[in-house]
Amino acid sequence: MTGSPGSPPAGRVPRSTRSAPVRPTPPPGPLDGSLLLPAFWLVAALLLVGAVRVATVLHESFSRYPTATVAAVAMFAAYAVPFWAFIDGLDYLEREPPVLLATAFAWGALVATTLAITGGAALHNLIAKAASPRLASAWGSALAGPTIEELVKTLGIVAIVLVARQQVNSVLDGVVYGALVGLGFQVVEDIVYAVNAVALAGGGDRVDPVVTTFLLRGFLAGLWSHTLFGALAGAGIGYLVVRTDRSMRSRLGAAALALAGAWLCHFVWNSPLFADGLGDGGLGVAAALVAKGAPPLLVIMMLVRAARGREAEYYTAQLAALADHRVASPAELRVLASSRLRAEACRYAHGRAGGRAARAVRRLQRAQAGLAVELSRAGAGADLAATPAVRRRHGEVLAQRDRLLALGHPEALAPRERRRTIRRWAGTAGGLTVLLVVWAAIRALGPA
Amino acid sequence: MGEVRSRLLGNLLGSLAVLAVAAAVAIGLPALDRALPAARPVTHGQPYGIGAGVTVVPPAGALLDVTKTRPGPRRGTALFLLGSVRYAVVVGPFTGSLPEAAARLRHKITATRGCQVTGTERPVTTGAGVGGRAGGYAAPGRAGRYSVFLVRGLAVEVTVSGTQADLRGALGRVEASTASLAFGRRP
Repeated sequence: MTGSPGSPPAGRVPRSTRSAPVRPTPPPGPLDGSLLLPAFWLVAALLLVGAVRVATVLHESFSRYPTATVAAVAMFAAYAVPFWAFIDGLDYLEREPPVLLATAFAWGALVATTLAITGGAALHNLIAKAASPRLASAWGSALAGPTIEELVKTLGIVAIVLVARQQVNSVLDGVVYGALVGLGFQVVEDIVYAVNAVALAGGGDRVDPVVTTFLLRGFLAGLWSHTLFGALAGAGIGYLVVRTDRSMRSRLGAAALALAGAWLCHFVWNSPLFADGLGDGGLGVAAALVAKGAPPLLVIMMLVRAARGREAEYYTAQLAALADHRVASPAELRVLASSRLRAEACRYAHGRAGGRAARAVRRLQRAQAGLAVELSRAGAGADLAATPAVRRRHGEVLAQRDRLLALGHPEALAPRERRRTIRRWAGTAGGLTVLLVVWAAIRALGPA
Repeated sequence: MGEVRSRLLGNLLGSLAVLAVAAAVAIGLPALDRALPAARPVTHGQPYGIGAGVTVVPPAGALLDVTKTRPGPRRGTALFLLGSVRYAVVVGPFTGSLPEAAARLRHKITATRGCQVTGTERPVTTGAGVGGRAGGYAAPGRAGRYSVFLVRGLAVEVTVSGTQADLRGALGRVEASTASLAFGRRP
């Protein structure tokens, strides 16, 4: 058990308690309680206003460029699906209520974009008036973009906290909601950019400027864009909400620091620095994109990894405390804490005992995660008979365990470390190849 | 009961704070922007850098709208104001031919609601001898002229619009300004 995320050595305080505590979250309840909250009605009203505004913008685009507008909406909607799945998967052990995830996405897509279009243009103009058109042209996007956009996206995370404070029970939850607000913003912003590119090209209702925008903003710029910045700001709000053991001043300071970090990442990305690339030709420009985008990506990924580790540690500790190998063996606890190992365990089961075993492993992992959450809700020292929900989840775990035993694959293990490493390197190489192909495609299409 | 009330009060205060920030962004900043004048005088007789090395001598008495002017190393925009007349110069990379550049500008004009190209297109030349195409267009209550030039992979699109009377009065100065277009070395 030593080194397993669910079981710190005896006498040692878990990392999740020391640096980023996780609190038990109540089960998602009916909507009735939220109807009493002023924040619920504020969010609903702003979403309605934002929806009307975005619909008006899209309707205007559709009336001029119907094919291009439909193509842009379809492409970027499809683009959002894997991002959403990835973000949702970050919080595998204690998934957030779908209605709140949808609200976060909708805030970014409808409210934040509406506010940013108006406020960003005004701030851009103010920079031109206060300084000069030259400064506004060169640095306006770097100054006005992050200042307005990070602020209005963070408002969305605050709104989620106001509507369902108890659902934000870890730093990771803040990351998830922040990333989804950012994803919603990114999708609608990219659609608007794509349609603007069609207008700028002046060639009528054509799809090629949409495709170029999709490749440029979706792939080359998409990895280090609003989703990432939103995740960082969300981590700060998560910390503010969860670390009630700290003074309000230090919590507010941490939240402000995270927002400032998101602003800085966005500023660097939008800044004209290295606009001509690092070196000659397309590769030089690609190198500049990577140089500006990769450091924030790595830093934020490390932060997300740490927050995810803390949450995994907290929930797997609930199962470890049972010391019941039929519920989860020490090796399974290690697997449960890592998305890569969970996927590897399914592949291993598939290789050993076929597709039914792989499905049973996946269901066992879900049942184990559900049981861990219910145990945390039941309180410290809860046993397997603590609540009806715990008993139900325990039954699900045992059912999947019996199924695995019957299939001759009793334990959901992921033993192939070396193959995993090879797969990771292959994935990285594949990702870089895709980026290079996308870059070549953009060059061939020749953006306006 | 007291705890519920204080929670509701906290929620109300938080909601008001969110609303206040949203209002500051959506209403406050635009109001501040509108309160400050956008038009600035430009030095008469001095070439003004539009972007990508292209310059133009502004018409006498013109003001520069700094909110619609964005000079840059590869592209740029400048908007000069002569009363109700708006004189815009847009520079950007273009890989096609002059007729294609003219077609693109006509398409941009007609993409604006109510705008229609009128009359036939004719050739024009700047003072430096760069050839281009020019034509006219009409919008509800306004008349307009356009011209487009193409040099070294750069398209320069000029549009000028205003009420019939104001446009007639300003057209001579605008045409003199357009003739002063100079295409320096691109950075």
